[in-house]
This record gives sequence, C-alpha cells and structure tokens, in this order.
Amino acid sequence: MSEQWFERDPLWFKRAVFYEIHIRGFFDGNDDGSGDFRGLIDKLDYLEWLGVDCLWLLPMYESPLRDGGYDISNFFALHPDYGTVEDFREFVEQAHQRGMRVIADLVMNHTSSDHPWFQESRADRHNPKHDWYVWSETDERYPEARIIFIDSEPSNWTLDQLRGEYYWHRFFHHQPDLNYDNPEVQEAMLEVLRFWLDLGIDGFRLDAVPYLFERDGTNGENLPETHEYLKRVRAEVDARYPDRLLLAEANQWPEDVVEYFGDGDECHMAFHFPVMPRMFMALRREDATPIYEILDRTPQIPDNCQWGLFLRNHDELTLEMVTDEERDYMYSEYAKDPRMKLNLGIRRRLAPLLDAGRDEAELLHAILFSLPGSPVLYYGDEIGMGDNVYLGDRDGVRTPMQWSGDRNAGFSRADWAQLYLQPLMDPLYGFQAVNVEAQLRTPNSLLRWLQRFIALRKEHPVFGLGSYQALPGDNMRIFSHVRTWEDDVVLCVHNLARSAQAVQLDLSEYEGMVPIEMLGRTAFPPIGELPYLLTLAPRGFFWFQLRQPEQVE
Amino acid sequence: MDERALIDYVTRQRWYGAKSRTVSHSQVLDTVTIRQAEPQLTLALVEMRFDTGVHELYQLLFSGSTGGGTFDGLVEDAGIAREIVSAMRSAQTLQGSQGVVEFQPADDFSALGRELGPARLVASEQSNTSVVFDETLILKVFRRLEPGINPELELLRFLTEQGFRNIPALGGWYAYSGGPLTATLGLLQEYVAGAVDGWELALGEIASAPESFLDRLGRLGEVTAHMHSALGADSSNHAFAPEEPSVESLGLLTATVDEEISRVFLSLPEDDERLAPILGRGEEVREQLRLLTHAGSSGRVIRTHGDYHLGQTLWRQNDWIILDFEGEPARTLVERRRKRSPLRDVAGMLRSFAYAATAAELTRDADIPEDWEERARERFLESYLETVDPTLLPPGEAAIERLLAVFELEKAVYELRYELDNRPDWVGIPVAGIERLMHQAAEAL
Repeated sequence: MSEQWFERDPLWFKRAVFYEIHIRGFFDGNDDGSGDFRGLIDKLDYLEWLGVDCLWLLPMYESPLRDGGYDISNFFALHPDYGTVEDFREFVEQAHQRGMRVIADLVMNHTSSDHPWFQESRADRHNPKHDWYVWSETDERYPEARIIFIDSEPSNWTLDQLRGEYYWHRFFHHQPDLNYDNPEVQEAMLEVLRFWLDLGIDGFRLDAVPYLFERDGTNGENLPETHEYLKRVRAEVDARYPDRLLLAEANQWPEDVVEYFGDGDECHMAFHFPVMPRMFMALRREDATPIYEILDRTPQIPDNCQWGLFLRNHDELTLEMVTDEERDYMYSEYAKDPRMKLNLGIRRRLAPLLDAGRDEAELLHAILFSLPGSPVLYYGDEIGMGDNVYLGDRDGVRTPMQWSGDRNAGFSRADWAQLYLQPLMDPLYGFQAVNVEAQLRTPNSLLRWLQRFIALRKEHPVFGLGSYQALPGDNMRIFSHVRTWEDDVVLCVHNLARSAQAVQLDLSEYEGMVPIEMLGRTAFPPIGELPYLLTLAPRGFFWFQLRQPEQVE
Repeated sequence: MDERALIDYVTRQRWYGAKSRTVSHSQVLDTVTIRQAEPQLTLALVEMRFDTGVHELYQLLFSGSTGGGTFDGLVEDAGIAREIVSAMRSAQTLQGSQGVVEFQPADDFSALGRELGPARLVASEQSNTSVVFDETLILKVFRRLEPGINPELELLRFLTEQGFRNIPALGGWYAYSGGPLTATLGLLQEYVAGAVDGWELALGEIASAPESFLDRLGRLGEVTAHMHSALGADSSNHAFAPEEPSVESLGLLTATVDEEISRVFLSLPEDDERLAPILGRGEEVREQLRLLTHAGSSGRVIRTHGDYHLGQTLWRQNDWIILDFEGEPARTLVERRRKRSPLRDVAGMLRSFAYAATAAELTRDADIPEDWEERARERFLESYLETVDPTLLPPGEAAIERLLAVFELEKAVYELRYELDNRPDWVGIPVAGIERLMHQAAEAL
C-alpha cells in the first residue's frame, strides 16, 4: 500500500490555515547558529498541535543570501545551512504523516547574479545562454516600468562590465531577470518545479510573478505573456501531480490579481495584498469603511480558487496598494520612527504594530479568519513576538523564534555570537517575556487562544468555502458580515472601536433563527422582526452560527 | 440509491461515530463488487457530510440483489464475509470506478489454507464490524475510514517481525487506494479461542479470587513491558524508531489535556447528581495538572498500543494476549499514530483497574477489598518497571509517577466525556476516578 496521508481533495487549500516559516529562524537542529530542516522536523509536533494545515517555507535554495534567499544560485540544491535534499524529503514525509502539507517559495522571475546561468550568459554575447537574461545595449528601454526597491536601486538596468551590456532587474541589481521569451528558460523552470514536486512538495508560492515578461510601451507587470506561461505551468502540474498548489505573489490591485486565477486554470491562490493595510487602518480609525470598501472592490474569483489573507509576513507591511493619503496616514500611525519604514512599507511585526494589545491581536485574527480566503500566519506572531527596527532591511522581523526563556531563546545551542541574528531581549518582547514554553503553560495566553481559534475555524469550512455578504449595521465602528456554505450560516460581528459599542443589524432574512455564539456555544435570543441589537466590548467580537430553533438543544 | 435511506441507515449504526452531528448529505463515492453471483456482495465507500460542511467516510458492505432491501451484508448474513477472506487468499485486486481494492494474505499464515467453517457476527463491538469463522479466524471490517495505514495492521505486522508472541497472528488485510483516499479497509487474524476476556476475568475474580488475579496482573505487567520494549526496538524504521521528545513535548501534552479538561467541564450537565463530586472543580483539576507538569522529563516516545485497558486483553493458557492496536476510535488517525510515552498505555491500564473495581461493585454486586486497586496497581507497575527497557522511561521514580498521573488524568477526563455521550449510567466511574486522582495528585506534590 502506498503511503498517502490525505484524502484526495484538489481544493484542500481553501480550508487550510497556512503558517509561514523562515527556516533560518525557526529552530537550529545542528547547533551551528542557523535554523535548518532537522530543526523543523523537531518542531513539527508543535505545529501539529497549533493546528496549521500547510507550512509555507521561505526560500531554501542555494544562495549568496544578499536578499534573504530570494537570490537563488542553484534551484536544485538547498542552502547548505538548511541541510540536504534528503533532509528536506524526510521533513516533507514527516509533515505529511502529521497531516500537514508543505509549500515553498520559488523565485521564477530572476536568479542571483552568482547563478552559473548568469555567469555563462554575461561571459560574451554568443554563448549558449547568451539570451537567458534580458540584455540591452542601452539602459533606456522599458522606461514605464517602476523601480520597486526605491531605497536601494536607482534603475532597473545595471551595466555588466564583462559583457559590456546592461541587464534588466526588477529587484536588486544582483538579481538579474530571466528572459522568459526564451523557450529554454521556460523549460528550465518547469524542470525545477518537477524536481521538487517529485520530492513530495505540495506546491509553491511563486514569488514576484507579475514581472516575468517585458514589453515596450508597458510597465512590464501582469502582461498577457506572463499569464500564458503560468497557465502552462498549471497544466504541467495538473497533468502529473494531483492536489498541488500554486500560490501567486502579485502585489497588485484585486482587479489585476484576479487575472492570476485565469478561468480557474492559472494559479490556485493569490495573496490579497490591499485588504491587509486596510485592516490596520480600520482598527486605528475605529471605522469599518476601509474593509467594507476593499471587499466591495474585490471581484468574484473562480470557485476553485482562493485568496491568501495575512496580517503580517516576512516582508515589510507593504503600502503599495493604498493611496498616497492613506499611506501618509499609515506611516503617521504605525511608523512614528523613520527606521520603521522600508521602501513603501512598514517593517514591523504584528504585536508592536498593535502596541502589544491583546484585544487588538484577537480582534485582527478574528477579522482575518472571518474573511473569504485562507489565512496565512507568520511564525512568531502566534506568541506575539516583537521586532528589532535597528537591524537592516527586513531582518528586524526575521529574528529567531522564541521557544523558551533558556539560552538563545531555546532556538539554538550554538554560541550567542554564532547565531545568524540574536533573539530579542527587550523587556516587553524579549524571549524571557515572550516564548512558546511559557505560553503553552498559560491557558489564557495568546498562543493557547489562537490554537483554540484555529480549531474553531477548521470545524467550519464555511470560512474557507462560503459566500461573503457584507452586513453593515447602523454603526460604522462595527464590521459585520455573513458567511454561508451549505447549511452553515455564520454571522461575524467585530467592534473596531476602543470603546464599547452597540449596533443594530438587519437580520430579517434570518428571522426565527437562533444565533449560537461559537466560542462558548451560548444561545442568544432568536432573531425577530425588529433589527437585532448587539452590544460589544471594546475591540470585542462575536461569531454566531445561525441555527434553526429545532437544531438548538 | 436513495440518499435519505442511506443517511437513516448509516446514522443508526453502532459504528457510526458522529451521533451528535447533523448530517446534511450522503453519497456513495465508489463501489467495488466482491461477489458477482447472488447473493451479491458490494463494497461501498460512503461519504457523510455534516451541516458545517466537514465530512467522514465509511465502508459499507451491501449484499442481496441490486436495489434489494438490505444494506449491510454482514449483519444479514455473516457467512458472506467468506468472500472477503477468499479474496485475500488469492491476493485479488478488484477495480472500482475511482480506485482499487487490494486483498493481501500475510506471509506464513497457515490457517488461510483451510475451508472456512460457520460464521458469526461479533455482538459487542463499537466502531468496527467483526465476523468469526469456525472459532479460529476473525475478520475485522473497519467502518470509519481515514487516509493512511491503519495502526492495527501496522502494529501487528511490526510486532510479528519483532517476535512479540502475545498477539493473535495476522492472516491478511484489504485496502482501498484511489481517487478519494488510500486506506486500510479491514484485516483478518487468528481468533483466540478458549480465552477469557481480561475485563470479564477481572469482574469475576476481583471478588472471588483477588489474590490469583493479582498474580495474573503481575504477568500482565511483564507482557506489557515486553510489548513496549518490542515497539521501541527498531531504530532503523522511521515509523517505529524511539525518539527523544521535543523540548516542548511536556508543554504540548499539558496544553492538550488542559484544553480537554476545560472543554469537558464547560459542558457538564449541572443537574446530574453523579457529577456532584467534581462539578465546578474544573479549575482545581487544571491547577493540579499544571503542578504535575511543571518540570521534568517525559522520557522517550514510541508507537504505543494507544487504547490500552483490560478489555483489550485475553487470558489463555496461562498467558495474556494483547488485542486491538487501533487506538482510541474517537481520535484521528494522525493522533493515533503519534509516538507517545509508553506510560500512556500503562496509565490506561491503571485506570482500567479502577474501572474494574467500581464496575464489579456496580454490576456484580461484589464486595471488593478496599485496598484491591492499590495492590493491583503496585503489582502491575512493579513487574512492568522491572521488565521494560528503562531507556524508554523518564529518569527516576518521581518523574514516572508524575507523568503517570498526568496520563491517568487525561484518560479519566476522556472517559468522562465518553460516558456522558454514550453510557450516562457509567458516569460515576470516571467521576470517582477524577476525584481520586485529585487527592492522589495533592498527596504526591
């Protein structure tokens, strides 16, 4: 009997809770100061307990690490700090046996400039890989394409002294873009996908997909050629590998992002970037309007597709998908220290963004978990880890996972100085105060709460599969909506204000039904003809399952 | 097939595990014909969908003519299960629309060569359906299906390889693999004839022959220890290699048990007199748990029996046979396959002694010596600890006792919920158990 640990389910990702892991920062299994796959295997029990369904790994490939591993120099090998391909295979098998799937970051747009492909390509203008990258004699082509890393890159073109031509790069200058107009490049990247899929991986988070192709007179984002190639990738995956996932990272407006779903024949999932800053904005303004508006602006997606939703991730809290005015507001509220800004975003973790507020953390998780999509948690945020704004680039949100109050936060047994980054030690967020061990033992800790909350969400596939209907009441400080799937109807009501609020909701459509509060299983008064009145604690929320009276004990 | 009738039928079955849930839909995912001629035998994979949209999968065996009245072949005519055994004997592979059912005989299983005699259905079962042939073979049909290999099959094969003799020999198995999932459907094993069920033996002997039963428990301690040593003996096999638990394993255990306690106490009916000794004391119980797990090592973890109690043992020819390696039926397969401290099995057995003593009083009207349970524990534990591979256990007597108390508490809380859901008349037993453990924990600290 072949060992297969999941029911066949091509739509598993629609009900899944994702958990994003920075391998280097999670757990050091071989005492060298850097997290690795042996360490990840050690912590699978913890992740299984937490209840997450799918682990998303940040780049794990060979890399000079000038961009956190998003600069890949060999697609077929792991970074030696992380272990061997055999370690990876065992990790995937062990995760599967515990009912968790694994997806990994894959950068298709570019490679590291150290990659042998680029070294060969730059050698002269006639070698076999001479057009595997985008070369030009001038740095004036594609002027409409914006510069993304505005803090460090003056141009999308950099002159290569050896070849005497400019090469194109949408990100750092040490990350030359691959030339997808070359069929050999297209085929090479499919080869990469197959290699990892054959090892048992459940899918990929495709990094920076909007930029695969370049065309004159365009901004080089979301081009038809890019979609065509992604559809080809999807077809190749579907043909040989069942139940796998392609998750697109396209930091774009929803109406552009939906293009990445195709007709359900391109990517299975894509991140919903714009909803994220609006949750923070709504919280600070104590006004649900920004969330209602962005969801209103979000087009329908094919039934076999899903949004990926998140509060924070390994990058800065990106503010590309807001207006200038909104961005100024976000900076003034959430990045009072200029060090907290990076590019067009804020490089902070969830807990510090919320001033360590527990009610706020619960409320934002409730909103995140209630929205149509699959939530993606970022490692460390489940215990309310802090950040270190004095570290460069995005390292401040990539410090070691705080497992215990022991030496090195229980992350590694290496010497303190040997650690890839030192764990946080400040009195509020340091590992003595914030760690897994202590929170496991404390029934009311954020960690224990979140574990219960994940279990609750998983009991109700409606959150992943159901329809969304906004249900604003007479008080815009309240964000309320209804999710429906088969016979499960769930009413979610969230108070964004820092004061207690009352709201009247028009629930006439559900007259006669009984709201059952889902965390405590308490029955509320049946819904009558009149507007339904609810009072909510500051930053409080209710999730109700609406049931027929005869279904209520 | 009529969906309503299917739902009605499945939800009325004893093996149906989700009695407290509302079913919204049901459908047959795949069928495989095991016997073509009348009476036909058809295996069906059935999905039960609940109102929240989650689902469970079950194995049904239809018999009779197509569209005819009977749903479950085995219940109507246990003899038809011979078709499954003969398919194992000839290692058949049968095709369904979404996948295949493969039948496999075990190596060196001589009993398969014989003609099968009379068949009877086993009456007392909860989550499976079993048929005994000729009082020498038993076919166990798993009803609720989950992806992956069933732990019973996995453990029987492994223990056989390890030369552990106190189990019934494995005769064969059958499994589905295909579209919906890959899962073990059932297995055939030696039926241990002329044996007494350990639970029945206990109820009878605790009152009538307490001393000789204590001797038997001494032997049970040894057999249990051999079983654990065998389960932890092969470090080259990933599925069975003993492991050092992760640093937070004790914390994870505490958190899990604590949530369970909290959940059970939250839903305790307030008007049940039998619950009076523990009602409103949930926080106290949780506090005890936290004290017990505040520090210490949890030893190594191995694959375990998973649902170990007197009812899983048989006494035959002066020795014990251990049965049923499936794990607790209410837990997911992932949980049941998890490596744990062997002390969790030990705790299950200790709880079973408490259970037996109370049950003997309740059901047999027996007069039980007051110190019987204490002596039973001592006797069993003493021979267990003398025999078992000590590297599997936490170091030191105190650590062992504390970990045992945690597992016993976990067990008692699980029992409480089970009895509340299934056998309200038995609720008093886990209640007394929890009360006793609270005293014991308080004294141990």
